[in-house]
Amino acid sequence: MIEVIKPGLETSVQDYPGRLGYWNQGFPPSGPMDSWSFRLANLLVGNDVGAAGLECQYIGPTLKFNEATVIAVTGADMQAKIDGELVPLWESIAVAAGQVLEMSFAKVGVRGYIAIAGGIATEPWLNSRSTFHKAGVGGMEGHAIKAEQVIPVAAPTTTAVAGRKVIEAARPVFSVDKSWQVEVCRGPNDDWIDEAGHQRFINAEWKLSSKSDRTGFRLEGPEWTFTDKAHNKGPEHGSDPSNIIDQGYPIGAINLGGQTPIILMNDGPSMGGFINPYTVPSIAFWKLGQAKPAEILHFMVISVAEAQAIRQQINELCSEKSIVESR
Amino acid sequence: MIYEEPKFLPGGDRYILIEFGNEMNLELNFLGQGLAAAITEHRTRGVIETAACFASTLIHYDPDVIGYEPLVAELKELIKSLGPSDDIELNSRLFYFPTVYLDPWSRECVDDYIANLNPDKIEDAQLVAELNGLDDVNHLVRVHSGTEYWVASLGFWPGLPFMMPLDPRCVLTAPKYNPPRTWTPKGTVGMGGASTCIYPEHLPGGYQIFGRVPMPIWDTEKRFPQFENEICLFQPGDRVKFVPCSVEEFEHIERQVADGSYQYNVVEYQRFSVRNYNQWLTTIDKAPRF
Repeated sequence: MIEVIKPGLETSVQDYPGRLGYWNQGFPPSGPMDSWSFRLANLLVGNDVGAAGLECQYIGPTLKFNEATVIAVTGADMQAKIDGELVPLWESIAVAAGQVLEMSFAKVGVRGYIAIAGGIATEPWLNSRSTFHKAGVGGMEGHAIKAEQVIPVAAPTTTAVAGRKVIEAARPVFSVDKSWQVEVCRGPNDDWIDEAGHQRFINAEWKLSSKSDRTGFRLEGPEWTFTDKAHNKGPEHGSDPSNIIDQGYPIGAINLGGQTPIILMNDGPSMGGFINPYTVPSIAFWKLGQAKPAEILHFMVISVAEAQAIRQQINELCSEKSIVESR
Repeated sequence: MIYEEPKFLPGGDRYILIEFGNEMNLELNFLGQGLAAAITEHRTRGVIETAACFASTLIHYDPDVIGYEPLVAELKELIKSLGPSDDIELNSRLFYFPTVYLDPWSRECVDDYIANLNPDKIEDAQLVAELNGLDDVNHLVRVHSGTEYWVASLGFWPGLPFMMPLDPRCVLTAPKYNPPRTWTPKGTVGMGGASTCIYPEHLPGGYQIFGRVPMPIWDTEKRFPQFENEICLFQPGDRVKFVPCSVEEFEHIERQVADGSYQYNVVEYQRFSVRNYNQWLTTIDKAPRF
């Protein structure tokens, strides 16, 4: 059991890959935005990579552990301390009964992850423990954790060991110059944008808006221009060039509403009536999860096959091969 | 038009959008629903889930199991094996939904949008009436409530139905909001493009809004028997008939919903035949409005 002393800004229970199988009813997967850091945290404490843990955003929580356990903190550097002493990231840590983990604001990155040996054992909802805040389901009573709540933890099936480390080469490298190279694939609706529009999209510095959350990341940048297809179409598409007959949305789609692109994130909508000229593949989600508002995103087009190959590489990195015992 | 061959469009490393055409007609929705059902039945390898919409079906697949090209090849085979949509017959429930048209709540929401986000916005009911050549907003109510709606798909929000009018004399079109609205009252009825929706919750939105229903269309607490096995009220292939009612009736039902005594007005004995429907379409004059 973990007692919440301070909840942090928006700390939520998530599991990986989240709530799959309900997209046709409109339920998003949710789950950790930076699943790379999340999976590594679980590996460190001996859990399956997908076990439920905590995602912390901007400001981490203060938690009291009622039983001795092993935890790991990965992702954004939120200056995690145990009983006042800084503890290393990317390493499993022994915690004695009664000890307090205290995290503060993220110095590098945005989202920190806490894995606990055994994994969090809240009641699954539609087969997942991931929190979907907007609908108030999953996780701790459907929302971010609150002070005085007690988070249940499952008994570990293997003995968790402290001092296990993620090798340097297997960790995601966060930007320190406020700009990110984000992979995108063209489609599904790339033929609605004209060549000049595509060029502008690729060359532009896109600013991540502060009006961004787990539903969508709003981007600020240049105008979009469209092909004939967007201008000359049946009225059932809607009147704006970016309107299309309502269609299913991929998670990661760069969804263009009027002139405002919004990247659909883990809690995003399953369908709607705007075009998706590009899609951010799963391999770049960790970057989005760690980018701060006002930081700059540069988009780099890769093929679907390239994205799938990189996904394999990241999967490989999120395995026991990346872990060393340091003591 | 309905494409001769469906288009396969990639969406990153995990999705394929299959477009059957570029218009709203039931035929396309049947093809989309048919493919989704066939994928479930055949347990197509690597497919995690599907989401059929008006003219397309989105496939979410696991690239760790199957690559883009091999999956496209398999799906093409599967589509070939499906019969003509005319053969499709579906169980189709019909829900009667008391609805306050031109209601004070959506009006308040529209006024708030005009005041804070877009002073040039024409009030929704008036805009839709004008763009469709109707006499006035009362004519809009008559036309919009003059048909059964076909639940083509669910999405955008859990349980939110995207619906199409079954009667061609009631087909209306409406532009979507730009920029989108930041809030919409729970239960609001709206239109965008040629589709009608009901907002299951207090939500942002982009449809033109001009009505409201008092009963929940999704329920995580399972307070009504309709939600016993489902969180969402609707399934694709259901039909909805909006029945204009007064604010007083709305509030009466709202009280019944609150105390748990509300009975959904639904009939479950009908089957929908695409062939019969298409035949009926050939017998009516589609031009006049109600």
